Amino acid sequence: MVPTAWMVAFFVSSMLVVVLLSFGHTQADGQPVFGTTPANFAALWDPVYLELFLRSLGYALATVVLSVAVAYPVAYAIALHGGRYKNALIAAIVVPFFASYLIRMYAWKALLSDDGLVNSGLRKSGLSDGIAFLNTPWAVVGGLVYGFVVFMILPVYASLERMDVSLIEAGKDLYHGPLRTFVTVTLPATRAGLYGGMLLVFLPALGDFVSAQLLGGPRTYMIGNLIQQQFAEGQNWPLGSAMTVAMMGALTVLMVVYLRATTTRTRERS
Amino acid sequence: MSAGRLERKPFLAVAVTVAFFAWLYLPIVAVALFSFNSAKSLSVFSGFSTRWYSDFFSNSALLESLSASLRIATVAALGSLVLGTMLALGLERITSRPARAVGAVTLMPLVTPEIVTGVAALLLFTGVGLKLSLSTVTLAEITFSIAYVTVIVRGRLGSMSPEVEEAARDLGCTPWQALRLVTLPALFPALLGSGLLVFALVFDDFVLAFFTTGVDPQPLPVRIYSSIRFGISPAINAVGTLMLLVSGLLIVAALLLPRLFNRKTSSLDLITGGERR
Repeated sequence: MVPTAWMVAFFVSSMLVVVLLSFGHTQADGQPVFGTTPANFAALWDPVYLELFLRSLGYALATVVLSVAVAYPVAYAIALHGGRYKNALIAAIVVPFFASYLIRMYAWKALLSDDGLVNSGLRKSGLSDGIAFLNTPWAVVGGLVYGFVVFMILPVYASLERMDVSLIEAGKDLYHGPLRTFVTVTLPATRAGLYGGMLLVFLPALGDFVSAQLLGGPRTYMIGNLIQQQFAEGQNWPLGSAMTVAMMGALTVLMVVYLRATTTRTRERS
Repeated sequence: MSAGRLERKPFLAVAVTVAFFAWLYLPIVAVALFSFNSAKSLSVFSGFSTRWYSDFFSNSALLESLSASLRIATVAALGSLVLGTMLALGLERITSRPARAVGAVTLMPLVTPEIVTGVAALLLFTGVGLKLSLSTVTLAEITFSIAYVTVIVRGRLGSMSPEVEEAARDLGCTPWQALRLVTLPALFPALLGSGLLVFALVFDDFVLAFFTTGVDPQPLPVRIYSSIRFGISPAINAVGTLMLLVSGLLIVAALLLPRLFNRKTSSLDLITGGERR
């Protein structure tokens, strides 16, 4: 089959090349060559790299948590109270999200920079001499949420849409209190959407380097920046390959554990 | 609180939604607004001017990048449309286990961080001795986009009843005729939608292009990225506004056009027992 052959030729084989090169080394003339040495992986076991890896994990998890906090109310309001504007509202969210991630990160950079609109507004109003927003973890995580929150909104919205609204009515009659109804009826009904959205936000957030590059700095660099440097600046391709393999390995383990845990939980509920 | 019925608006959720829309659009509107600023400032609007746009349209290097990005997106949309549709049709017919595993592999780009796909494509291309150029970007973008087309087209196939194609076969169509005269026309809205979506995604895709492009000419997002790193300028605001406008319109078209065609074919859907909305 042609498409399968294409995917094997360009995708599967490219992944294999990464794995192969991660055991290679760089020659004196800078040429990367294949090999069988685990030295690149040994080099990764270094406090500097480990801190960066843990930081990326922390940023990605913070992005997931904040995305849930933002996306759930938005999806809830639109799905259950959007009325005939439902589709228009969802479209108004989807359109900017699928238009240039790079430009949207740039837009935040322009807005939050020292001479940007926010800081000049603060200065003019006399509230503050200006705040250094950029180069902080807040800016980077904020950028990641801004970049990927739509991947949380859409699945949660879809599961709220599919949900039988009369269940909420029944819940309110049974349990009283909107909060208890939400926890015992609405939340379990949207569990699949939430779990899916968490994965869809976590994956691109962990591998991102644009947000940390444009809104952050060296102190907020993520694993993506490190990989990017090995290929674009550092020119140590075998080390960069080892980083990529390590990240994919960690992601695969996390995904297997996560999918196991979530599928059994969803099955128990239904 | 006992009157907490569904008709009552949940104040908190609505407030978060309003704030969310402000947060979503504020930076974009600011970029668009200051792209018309006559001065260089990004905080003080001194007067209306289109000088940053005329700068862009007289900058031959940037125009070359724009044309490169348009060409990449066109070829990638057409290529992934053909391959992705073939894959969707194949997966729909395949029931054996190993073949389904192969099908799952083809969807892997969707759950792989883009930086991994980019690094892998770079290593593959240089490994087999391909010179990095706009062609390598296009090959990588096609590979990445196939999964999108497949998912969308499969969704549409799933809501079609297989009996229609079987009926065409019973009436004497060859498999190819049944595909061409029955299945593909019914898939048209999905094909149109996914083609436009892929075009928009590829047109402003940065990460894959960054890893797989050669030196000159570079795709527009890569060029924009290198100038952003040196600071912000109204010229980038103008290019950015244009890019947002192009991909925004494409996404709107991807959302709206298939619906238009769906409505037209809704009578046909009714007869064929297709999806009714």
